[in-house]
Amino acid sequence: MKKNLKIKNNISELDKLVIFIEKMAEDWKIPVKEVFSINLVLEEIISNIIFYAFDDKFDHEIHLEADYNNNILKIMIEEEGKEFNILKVPLPDHLDTGVENRKVGGLGIHLITTIMDKIEYKRTGDKNQTFLYKKI
Amino acid sequence: MEIKEQKIKDVIVLEILGRVDTTNYGKLEGVLSDYIAKNEKNIIIDCSEMDYISSSGLRVFLTGFKKINAINGNYFLCGLQDNIQEIFEISGFTSIFKIFTNQENALKGIE
Repeated sequence: MKKNLKIKNNISELDKLVIFIEKMAEDWKIPVKEVFSINLVLEEIISNIIFYAFDDKFDHEIHLEADYNNNILKIMIEEEGKEFNILKVPLPDHLDTGVENRKVGGLGIHLITTIMDKIEYKRTGDKNQTFLYKKI
Repeated sequence: MEIKEQKIKDVIVLEILGRVDTTNYGKLEGVLSDYIAKNEKNIIIDCSEMDYISSSGLRVFLTGFKKINAINGNYFLCGLQDNIQEIFEISGFTSIFKIFTNQENALKGIE
C-alpha cells in the first residue's frame, strides 16, 4: 500500500514530514536507525525545494509517495519547481581536510548519496521527479 | 530542541535536548555565536539527549568549531548517540572534532 503526503512549500510544513515518516516506520516496521537517516535525507531534499525551487511567493505543492516492497523502500518526490537534477549536484572535494579548509556547504548531497542505495531523476513536463531507494 | 546552558569554571557547556533540524538550527547558531562573541574559548556540546540532527545542524557544529579553532580554543563534543555518531562519521566530522564519551571526560580534556 503506497503512502502519500502533500505539503506546501513552507518550512513550517516539515513537521508534517516528520509525522509522515513516523507513521511509515510504524506501519512498515522500519528500524529506528533507518528512520533516522531517511528523515535526514528527506528533510534535506524537501527543505532544498522549499528554499530554492520557486521564485514566486505563491503556495506550491510538494508531493511525496512512499512504497515498501521486498525490503526496498522507494520514495518519490515531485514538484513543479525549477528544473533541478540532484544527480548533477557536485560532491564536496575532500571530506577529511583540516578544519581550516573545510567548506561548510556540500554536506547535504554527500549525506543523501551515502545513505541511499539508488537515486533517479526525471523531468516530466514541468515537474521534477526524484526517486530514492533504500534496502531496509 | 532545548538548549541547557552552563558555565563550569571557564568552560561553557551546552546540552542539546531533542532535534536539531532546518526549523530550529538558528537557535543553536545564535547561542554559540553569542558565547564566541563574549570571548568564551572553551565550549563543550553535550549531545547525549540529542536524538536527531539534519545537515543544517551539522553546518552549525562545523561553523562553531571553525570559530573556536581560529582563536585556539577548545571545542569538544560528548555523548553522541549511535545514529548521530554514524552521521558524523559519514560527514567526516569524527576526524575533525574531539569527541568524548561523556561530559565528565570532556571537562577533564580541557583541564
